[in-house]
Amino acid sequence: MTLLAPALLLGLLGLAIPIAAHLLGREPPRTIPFAALRFLLPDDPTVTRRRALQNPLLLAIRLLLLALAVLVLARPAALDPSGVAIVAEPHDAVILVDGSAGMTLRVGEQTLMQRAAERAEEVLGALPPDTRVGLLTSDPDGPTLEPTADLDRVRDTLQEWIAAGAPRPGAWTMAEAIPRATALLGDAQADRKRVIYAVSDPTQGGLAGLTSTTDAGVLVVPLSVVAPDATPPTHVGITEVTWASAPEIDPRAVRITARVHRSGGGDDVLTVLLALAIGDQEVTRATVDLAADATESVEFTHVLLGEETFAAATLSLDLPEDPLPIDDTRHAWLSADDAVEVTIVNGDPSELRAHDEVFFLATAVGVTDRQQRLRLVSLAPDQLESRIRERGDRALAGTDVLVLANTRAPTEDVSPAILAAVQRGMGLWITMGDRVEPDAYNARLGPVLPLLLREAVQVGTAPGLAQARIEGFAPPDLSHPVFRGWGGELGLTGAQVRKIVLCEPDPARRATIALSYTSGAPALVTRAAGSGRVALLTTTVDRDWADLPLRPGFVPLATAVLDYLGDSGANARSASVFVGEPRALRGDAGLTITTPDGRELAVAVGDAGVATFAETFTPGHYRGDAETPITFVVAVDPRESDTHWQSITATDDTDGTRAAIALPRWRVLVLLIALLLAAESLLRLGFGARRRPHP
Amino acid sequence: MGALVPADLGELLRTRVLRVRRPVWGRGHGRHASRRVGLGLDFRDHRGYVPGDDPRQLDWRAVARRDRLVLRQTEAEDELSLLLVLDAGANMAYGEGAQSKLAVARALVAAFAWTAIRQGDRVGLVISQGDEVDAALARPAAGRDRLDAISRRLAGLAPRGRAPVRGLLARVAPRLPARTLIVFVSDLLDLATQVDDASAIEGELLGGLAQLRARGHDLVVLQTLHADELEFPWDGARLVRFVDPRGLRVDVEGAASSLRARYLERLGAHLRELEAACETNGLMLARVRTDASLGQTFATLLGRLAGDPGAAVAP
Repeated sequence: MTLLAPALLLGLLGLAIPIAAHLLGREPPRTIPFAALRFLLPDDPTVTRRRALQNPLLLAIRLLLLALAVLVLARPAALDPSGVAIVAEPHDAVILVDGSAGMTLRVGEQTLMQRAAERAEEVLGALPPDTRVGLLTSDPDGPTLEPTADLDRVRDTLQEWIAAGAPRPGAWTMAEAIPRATALLGDAQADRKRVIYAVSDPTQGGLAGLTSTTDAGVLVVPLSVVAPDATPPTHVGITEVTWASAPEIDPRAVRITARVHRSGGGDDVLTVLLALAIGDQEVTRATVDLAADATESVEFTHVLLGEETFAAATLSLDLPEDPLPIDDTRHAWLSADDAVEVTIVNGDPSELRAHDEVFFLATAVGVTDRQQRLRLVSLAPDQLESRIRERGDRALAGTDVLVLANTRAPTEDVSPAILAAVQRGMGLWITMGDRVEPDAYNARLGPVLPLLLREAVQVGTAPGLAQARIEGFAPPDLSHPVFRGWGGELGLTGAQVRKIVLCEPDPARRATIALSYTSGAPALVTRAAGSGRVALLTTTVDRDWADLPLRPGFVPLATAVLDYLGDSGANARSASVFVGEPRALRGDAGLTITTPDGRELAVAVGDAGVATFAETFTPGHYRGDAETPITFVVAVDPRESDTHWQSITATDDTDGTRAAIALPRWRVLVLLIALLLAAESLLRLGFGARRRPHP
Repeated sequence: MGALVPADLGELLRTRVLRVRRPVWGRGHGRHASRRVGLGLDFRDHRGYVPGDDPRQLDWRAVARRDRLVLRQTEAEDELSLLLVLDAGANMAYGEGAQSKLAVARALVAAFAWTAIRQGDRVGLVISQGDEVDAALARPAAGRDRLDAISRRLAGLAPRGRAPVRGLLARVAPRLPARTLIVFVSDLLDLATQVDDASAIEGELLGGLAQLRARGHDLVVLQTLHADELEFPWDGARLVRFVDPRGLRVDVEGAASSLRARYLERLGAHLRELEAACETNGLMLARVRTDASLGQTFATLLGRLAGDPGAAVAP
């Protein structure tokens, strides 16, 4: 607590006047124990009463009034509890307000957004004169205001933005918004500091991800909207919804798994209701018990009715009191039939099926229950090349996964199309064989290869290892996404590999090794490239170099790899994007997308046969028109509902140019004065009424 | 005893004796003139011999001169019975240290007791305070033990409560030996037990004392007064609140100047009334100011008791 005009406190001396008047008038009489009291008679009875206080309460109230008036004039203000200091000299500033969905969190009576508005107001009120202030929000659609000396304009803009429904999901993180704020500040003037006041919550996507100065030398002052020692309220949200068809139950059955997370909470176990609705109709409900900070999975099994290919499923928590309602609902398009188009380029076709590259792969895929999901097309290398030459990028538009099995490297005029397709989300699986030329691969597909290839070697040819002519597989890395849902034995034990292609170690490529040989050399390497995924098997998928296809583990391995590669693409099953993320769509002509709020938006298709739909600002179901059966859902990024408040260290006031934010505290005093005035009037009224009979 | 009696009074006590003007009627041989013819040394009278008289009392010179048997009669000297009655109520507390009314009263009582015991007289002590009368030492007795007892009683004395007057007379009067010297020490300012009965109780006390006088006892009323009570030194516009130490009367608060004149007037009237009443009833009233020299006061007292008419009533 501090005073903005402490000198005015001298006015408190005025309090002494009535008190002194009273004290001087009312000297306490000297008390004398006197035996001869009998002879004492007070002459004038009023002498003893004249200076007595007639109404001590009234005096107290009036004194308090006087003191409060002086105190208000002295303008008491509380120093900001977080110890944040603003720059005390005139400077250029941008107030950066977090507009992410996390700001809808209700803490007490207010949402974080309302607090942020107050906080911004505090900063505006505390800024030194002649400071120019701009406004930026982390909402991509939010207002942007160049630094101006007109602070009211900043206030109005902020209020309008909040009144227009901010915040919303899909905002930038604060760290992402900082460069934009820096750009707003423009180039540094020699004599003025540049400051960004970041108003947000102390989460990772908020203040916790910020540095104290930007690369351009702009000071970033974090202004947390929550008290430094506050604990976030407990809330429950759905973090993920996945589904898979369950043909063992019914050909049209799907198994939906929702992950429900409870953030915060005490020792109690919270039971929440999770409802599944298909279309507009609620189908079933389930309860889930959540301990503090626990994540539980809820599984629904549902048999799709009707003839529609896709069913719009909505999972929602029945939690009206949840402080963060934005993550209480998630959407999914369910489908019993969501095919992955796999194009296999057979580099070494053979009349003998047992020697054919594709035979084992096609057989393996065909025996699984995923038969309906994976649609295989087989091509020869020159067929692929001629198609690409003919149709350009669109040749691969319908392909989810491209398998190059023992193929010579694509020619130079074809490989850019493959690279572009991978970047857009196509999966690519490259397997080795005698026709593979490592140098050509490195040259043409190098940008997406998980690891650069070296040369093919016979295993066990290292000095002193002449006897061991075969090699097996080491236990797989089950944490790798390829093996998601698998456990223990893969059925690859005893596989014998005679020849492999070695790889060039390169940490910069961020490749992950899913499977390796007992010697440690990588067997199956994956990598995300752009939106797509690439897998590399360093031996053959047929029996040329290894007996891998004869092993029982080959079937699940092949399915898993194809599933993994197909998952990344633009197919229905993974067709979920976060709010604000653009959605890449395939199509030949123009598309029309229906948004959850009923709008129909036309999307132009680019040259590569890919349209980019960017209006993904509302969570919910999106669908194409009847001719183009495209569906996808937009979900809230679970990171936005992160309420793990981290401690924010205030930036050091190294140059001593900063002053603490003073929050005005005199308004409540003014209210108190009004109350006291009323009390004083009442008291005087009552007092006068009491005195009137005795004039 | 030394603690009770100031130095100048103690010095005085060595040389003075307590004598009373009137003959006493003691039980044993003392040094006070007795109503009876006795075995003293002072000549009193001659009378004719009647058979049965002690031949040792024949005054042979007178027999030779008058030629008939004449007996020489001498004054008898009897011991004195002294009863000290002390008002030790809270009203006696006024004053600082040795100047307090109780301290002065106590010193005087101690001086009386010491003087009397030293010359073989019998002394009794009655203390009234705190609404009760302590009459444990009321029956006069002589000797060192009595003096010690009195000393102890006086030494532990602190002013307390009100001194009852009615009970006092009722307790004291019936047991008195004949012709006792009763010394009543009080400030006699306010003897009330209720707000409005001060005058009545005063009259009752004086009446009771007069009855004792009529029954042949000697009565001395010692009125110890503080100078403040006599002169009312507070003046001016300052507020003063007077509180009754005995908790009987309501406090009086006011500017001292507005109180002073009427107080002095009423006090003077009261004192004059008291003097007149004592005069009428044959009580010896001695007024003692606590700021006066105790030795001087006591000497004057002894003188008046012995019949010296020079000492005035009022200090």
